[in-house]
Amino acid sequence: MLRVVVTVNLVVLTFWRRDNFDRPVATALVVAALVGWTAFALWAYSSAVRRGPPLLVLDLATALGALLATPWLKGDDFNATLPGFWIMGVLLAWAVHWRWQGGLVAAALLSLVDLAIRPDLTQANYGNVFLLMIGGPIVGYLCQSLQQMAAERDLAQQAAASAGERARLARAVHDGVLQVLALVQRRGAELGGEFADLSRLAGEQESSLRSLIRQQDTLVTDAADADLAVALDDLGGPTVTVVTPGAAVPLPAYVVSEVVAATRACLDNVAVHVGPQAPAWVMLDATEDRVVVSVRDEGPGIPGDRLAAAEAEGRLGVSSSICGRLQDLGGTAELSTGSWGTEWELSVPRAGGAA
Amino acid sequence: MSNGAGESTDAAAIRVMVVDDHPMWRDAVERDLEVAGFEVVGVASTGAQAVARFPAARPHVVVLDLQIPEPNGVEVTRTVLEHDPSARVLILSASGEQADVLEAVKAGATGYLVKSASREELLSAVRRVAAGDTVFTAGLAGLVLGEFRRLSGPAQDGPAVPELTERETEVLKMVAKGMSYKQIAERLVLSHRTVQNHVQNTLRKLQMHNRVELTRYAIEQGLDGDD
Repeated sequence: MLRVVVTVNLVVLTFWRRDNFDRPVATALVVAALVGWTAFALWAYSSAVRRGPPLLVLDLATALGALLATPWLKGDDFNATLPGFWIMGVLLAWAVHWRWQGGLVAAALLSLVDLAIRPDLTQANYGNVFLLMIGGPIVGYLCQSLQQMAAERDLAQQAAASAGERARLARAVHDGVLQVLALVQRRGAELGGEFADLSRLAGEQESSLRSLIRQQDTLVTDAADADLAVALDDLGGPTVTVVTPGAAVPLPAYVVSEVVAATRACLDNVAVHVGPQAPAWVMLDATEDRVVVSVRDEGPGIPGDRLAAAEAEGRLGVSSSICGRLQDLGGTAELSTGSWGTEWELSVPRAGGAA
Repeated sequence: MSNGAGESTDAAAIRVMVVDDHPMWRDAVERDLEVAGFEVVGVASTGAQAVARFPAARPHVVVLDLQIPEPNGVEVTRTVLEHDPSARVLILSASGEQADVLEAVKAGATGYLVKSASREELLSAVRRVAAGDTVFTAGLAGLVLGEFRRLSGPAQDGPAVPELTERETEVLKMVAKGMSYKQIAERLVLSHRTVQNHVQNTLRKLQMHNRVELTRYAIEQGLDGDD
């Protein structure tokens, strides 16, 4: 495009200033040759294969040739060279192709020839040469950084795309593995015997893979906070069902670890008093101003006086590991028990509500 | 044999469609259902197939995996229920993608079961969903409860934020703690039917809210004229 503009400029200017030329016919021929070369160059530069050193050198040679022809065509006393601004096309081509070095070399050669053919150096000529010397390298440098940026952007896009693809594949693989584990679990339990063990193993793997996926999916933004939901999920297993609200419940890390420890103590109680295979349920209910973790079992319940008696006897296990922890957090631990089983409700206030 | 005497709907009359992209699962579920006397009127392995085959198959219940090729389970739920509001969708999901389960329930699914559930649990769930009951797992109850907690939290500019009654919250919490409807009825001295109604109401409120939100979104986006 630039080439077309400067070529049109060249033709018009030459026609307008035709009186200045000592040899009009030869000038017309040279201009025609330059127009022809421009057309050829436009075609040649359009392909990456042809856009090699030979073309660029030839292009520059043409420009230099046109410059050198000026004194012969115009006589020794001239102001503007015959090609004039037309040389910009070549300069830019060199700058684009060989970066600032190319721009510098082309600018230097063009300036040198331009100065050599002139009888004297005027202020305007010096300005033109100066612009050439500055413009060539700068355009080359800009091209270089543009290309670098494009390459870096391509690389970043590629990295993002491949990370996305990995995540998608991982999800598909996880999903497939979960399906198989679930199927093994289900069929194994139906077949019984040795398969029941297989079923139990599959169940364990399923729940650990599930909580792993969960941990990857929910990220807590504040590093000082931890996600109580994910931490409780880790307690789940074949006998323990953990139910969480489906969104991160960020709390200070020490609160999370204390609540998890208290919950674990409740579950240990279930295993000791009801039985190691007894089912238990952990449920997290997070409201704006507090979180409540309930731990439930369907055992025979705890006789009302037993806890107090245990405390009186100096066996402080339950009281200190559950009630004590909650009290330290400014919360409460309440126990309800009956023929239907036992239920702990661990309640902790949330400072300042949800983040 | 597994046809419970108290079930209000006869298994033989229930038409079921199974949508799952894992052939082994699809076959296992299909076989279980057929052995139990259900009529499997269609199967599909992608969302597109499910949506295309649904009108001709006219199932009462769609047993739907959420992780299927496009459109996903949530979209399929929305589409088939738009086509036939009397149909029921039972989500049978393997992966722990909780957000998807919640979205499917908001889109109108009335049952949710994890794939590791036993065959009896699956058959009973299909029967109950077909009868219009909601099948909640403790996990789903926890998600729904969490959603209501978030909705009633601060910074909610929605016009009609649904609120649960105290009783509904209480029942939902008990379901989330893993209690069966029967246990809840005993603890609260209510009838089984009343417990069931409370659970259904929580879902209905959530689905209603979701529809209001979708409509509001559509109006905001200037899409209301297209309808």
